Amino acid sequence: MASRVLVHCVRSVRLLQHSGGVLKSASRRSLSLVSFRQPSTWISPVSSPALQLCRQYCDSRPLTLQSIEERVMNVLNLYDKIKPETLESSSHFMKDLGLDSLDQVEIIMAMEDEFGFEIPDTEAEKLMTPAEVVQYIARKKDVNQ
Amino acid sequence: MSVSRLPPVTLNLKQFLQRQKVLGLYRNLLRTIRQVPDEADQKYLKDWAREEFKRNKEATNQDAVRMMITQANNHLEELKRSLALAGR
Repeated sequence: MASRVLVHCVRSVRLLQHSGGVLKSASRRSLSLVSFRQPSTWISPVSSPALQLCRQYCDSRPLTLQSIEERVMNVLNLYDKIKPETLESSSHFMKDLGLDSLDQVEIIMAMEDEFGFEIPDTEAEKLMTPAEVVQYIARKKDVNQ
Repeated sequence: MSVSRLPPVTLNLKQFLQRQKVLGLYRNLLRTIRQVPDEADQKYLKDWAREEFKRNKEATNQDAVRMMITQANNHLEELKRSLALAGR
């Protein structure tokens, strides 16, 4: 049994080496293609094939409590009825900032836009301070630190 | 005389339910407007809805409010229908 596993391992390593060799030669070929094309001056560097092939896929950066708070505050600062200098994370939208319930609905919608998920109506009514919004989003997105 | 802890303006059940309805309608309307393809149209509709709701936010007559809710519902349906026709 052990020997069989060993053989299997060796085979897979060989396979890996083999495919690595193929990959290497392929990349060398594409490199030579690039170096062949580069001397021609009328091809602008932007349209070179190497640049077009280099496409990166990535996820958004993981959320932290701090980044959530920053984004929430940023959204609130951009909202036209809130004066940025009166805004604090503990200020109540209606009592301290003088907004009405329609504004509060708009704020929650703006948060949905910013973070890309829907907040159900029953939850949305309860979010009355920036700190509560941050807490709610953190809970929904499973962010703890 | 005991001092009431209730705020000076309290809503009875009917008014409270109506308030919830209005807020839900507003949210619904804003959500639907978000699906409008053109940015400028989106902004225009948003401003229109906002203006309309704000203008009537002091209304206390229940029948009047009910009428306005119906009207808003009609607008919402119409918007949804035209969005469906536009293939959104």
